[in-house]
Amino acid sequence: MKVSSKDVISVNNFSFSYPQTKKPAISSMNFTVKEGEFFCIVGANGAGKSTLCDSLVGLIPQYFLGTTKGQVLVNGQETTKQTVAELSLEIGLVFQNPFNQLSYTTSTVAEELAYGLGNHGIPRSEMLDRVAAVAKKMRIESLLDRDPLTLSGGQIQRVAFGSTYILNPSILVLDECTTQLDPIGSEEIFTIIKQLNDEGVTVVMTDTETERLSMYADRILLLDNGLQMGVDKPQAIFAREDLEKLNISTPLNYQLTQELTKIGILDSPEFNQDIILEKIKEVENGYR
Amino acid sequence: MKRQGRRVNSGSLISTKVLVLIPIAVGINLLGGTLCSTLKLPLFLDMIGTILVACLSGPWMAGLCGLLTNLFLSVVANPIYLPYAFVSFLCGVVTGYLVKMGLFKSKLGVVIIWLTCSLVNTIAASLITVYVYGGASGVNSTSLATIALLATTKKIFLSVMSTAMIENLLDKAIVFIIAYTIINKIPSHFLNQYSPNLRSDR
Amino acid sequence: MTDNWVRRLNPKTKLLMIPVFGIATIVSPGMLLGLFLLLVVIVMAWQANIIKKFLQTMISFGIPIAVMLFIIQGLYSPQNHTYVANLGFAKLGLEGLMYGGKLLVTLLVFMGSFYLFNKTIYSGELAAALIKSSLSDKGGYLILASLNVVPQMKRQLQVIKEAQEARGVQTGGSLLTRIKVFIPLMGPVILSSLIDTQERGMALELRGFDLKNVSKTSYIQVVDTKLDKLFRIGMLLFLIIVTAFSIYLKVRR
Repeated sequence: MKVSSKDVISVNNFSFSYPQTKKPAISSMNFTVKEGEFFCIVGANGAGKSTLCDSLVGLIPQYFLGTTKGQVLVNGQETTKQTVAELSLEIGLVFQNPFNQLSYTTSTVAEELAYGLGNHGIPRSEMLDRVAAVAKKMRIESLLDRDPLTLSGGQIQRVAFGSTYILNPSILVLDECTTQLDPIGSEEIFTIIKQLNDEGVTVVMTDTETERLSMYADRILLLDNGLQMGVDKPQAIFAREDLEKLNISTPLNYQLTQELTKIGILDSPEFNQDIILEKIKEVENGYR
Repeated sequence: MKRQGRRVNSGSLISTKVLVLIPIAVGINLLGGTLCSTLKLPLFLDMIGTILVACLSGPWMAGLCGLLTNLFLSVVANPIYLPYAFVSFLCGVVTGYLVKMGLFKSKLGVVIIWLTCSLVNTIAASLITVYVYGGASGVNSTSLATIALLATTKKIFLSVMSTAMIENLLDKAIVFIIAYTIINKIPSHFLNQYSPNLRSDR
Repeated sequence: MTDNWVRRLNPKTKLLMIPVFGIATIVSPGMLLGLFLLLVVIVMAWQANIIKKFLQTMISFGIPIAVMLFIIQGLYSPQNHTYVANLGFAKLGLEGLMYGGKLLVTLLVFMGSFYLFNKTIYSGELAAALIKSSLSDKGGYLILASLNVVPQMKRQLQVIKEAQEARGVQTGGSLLTRIKVFIPLMGPVILSSLIDTQERGMALELRGFDLKNVSKTSYIQVVDTKLDKLFRIGMLLFLIIVTAFSIYLKVRR
């Protein structure tokens, strides 16, 4: 079993309002994320996805001003008890705009990857090893000597991803990290995320586009207007009648799997492509 | 393995949020300056970023921003700008304090900041031109005007100052109009993360 | 960048050269020491294989100033009492000329050593050297980030400019039209880069930028040789001696 029963994130009745605003950006959040889980947060623009992500890594309330209620626990400890930097060794964040995640103080990709390690005082010999390992994982070995600012958006995003992952967090929060990339760039990032999740890294991911999330998610948190509308398996979330009202598209593969269920090829809606293919092949073989 | 480096002092005065503004503001200043020369405008327009920092993070950060701007102008454009770093520093600090007093809230207040800033800039820059460069920092229209005035008035400081004042009033007017427009266009969720004294509706 | 001993010097050594050479020129009486220091900088620029561009910059910077100083100080300085020539419309004064000459040499020494520093260091190396030195890593951030931000903003500006031109907006024309073009060109770039700073700050926090009580390390190794330390101590001693000697000369007079 890939997902363990241990809670690595638990959000208890958490609310946050930005300064000078009456309405909270997110309110009464209540959910847990299990170790090794692929947990997705789905919601329209402005639903509060980024605010929630920033809360998980401690940027809220440590970096952003505002008022909070409730608490967020990461690996059993409240996020306010540690600095953002200390927390980043346990939970990493990658976000949308690749250019905003560079340090702007380095002139090569290798230095950029090593930047966080340097701040944590990791000796240079260990730095070199970890840079090499992460570069391999992010498939940027050939770019190590390049100036990060001369790379494409997709390449920079992999550098940013690597700079986060190099700190060895056991949880990754990915806030629309493929939205600004072209299809190839985004595919490459997804492959890496999937691989890390298979290796046991807990993934919390947000996106406006549900197609791909539905294939990978173990569970989905549905967010609307700062409110938690439900946490459930993708099958249950996409079966909801109110999705259109919440401005969330039903993924095409869900519609497909629904049809397959109707005609009896699948027992219940299913997102795992391998299982779907297998079932179709079974039926195909049955006809022969 | 021996750890390299040194111990960093605990307790920092400048928050990261404020710090990251400065390179961007310096960039905005430099961009204004370079754009001016590409559009062949006879102005500098290299203070927009400094004003924005003065509004968002106060006088000393604005001063620092001005200082760095001239440092980089002298690296990327012409070393002539280096001594004027002091002028940019002073203008940033002065603007910052006036904003702090709440003068950026009204258009009249902005006019007062504009006039004060132009005056401070003129006096400080003239002092530099006279004492560092002995009267003129290069061959351009301003310097020629200075010499023409000098030949008639025979007073170096006065000549340098009167040419600088006209130039400054025009330059700072444009810069403050742009900065005022931008500050009023910044989304409040961004502005609220700083503690500005900018909008009258509070 | 070619490899040579000037290039290999620690960035701190070359940085220290700027104030030491500049101040020594200012405090020393006359301009002889300044001329000598200028010669040292020129030799170093030659050794660093940047002599051609170095001289070009120095000349394009120095000649206009020299001309201006000659006119303003030589002809109109209030200190002028000894006149060396009469040009008809004004008299050329020795005091003004000497003052102008000293000023020119001082400026050239400052600018020259600054140019040398600027052209013979690698920015990553400077950051590493600053992180290790007593100057805080925040100072290092300010310097490097400012340097790196500009090219990216220029690209952004170019994109907007092209879009404007595609829509038929003219970038030439009269002064007023050019100013009118300037504002819509700058506005969006300024606003978006300002808002971007929030995320940049987040990224820095997440990567431990604000960590305290940690001995920070760097990927880049900066060589700080015994020769570098010797140079730096030597320069400081030199400055002390020059200052002391100049004061002695003044007092004795």
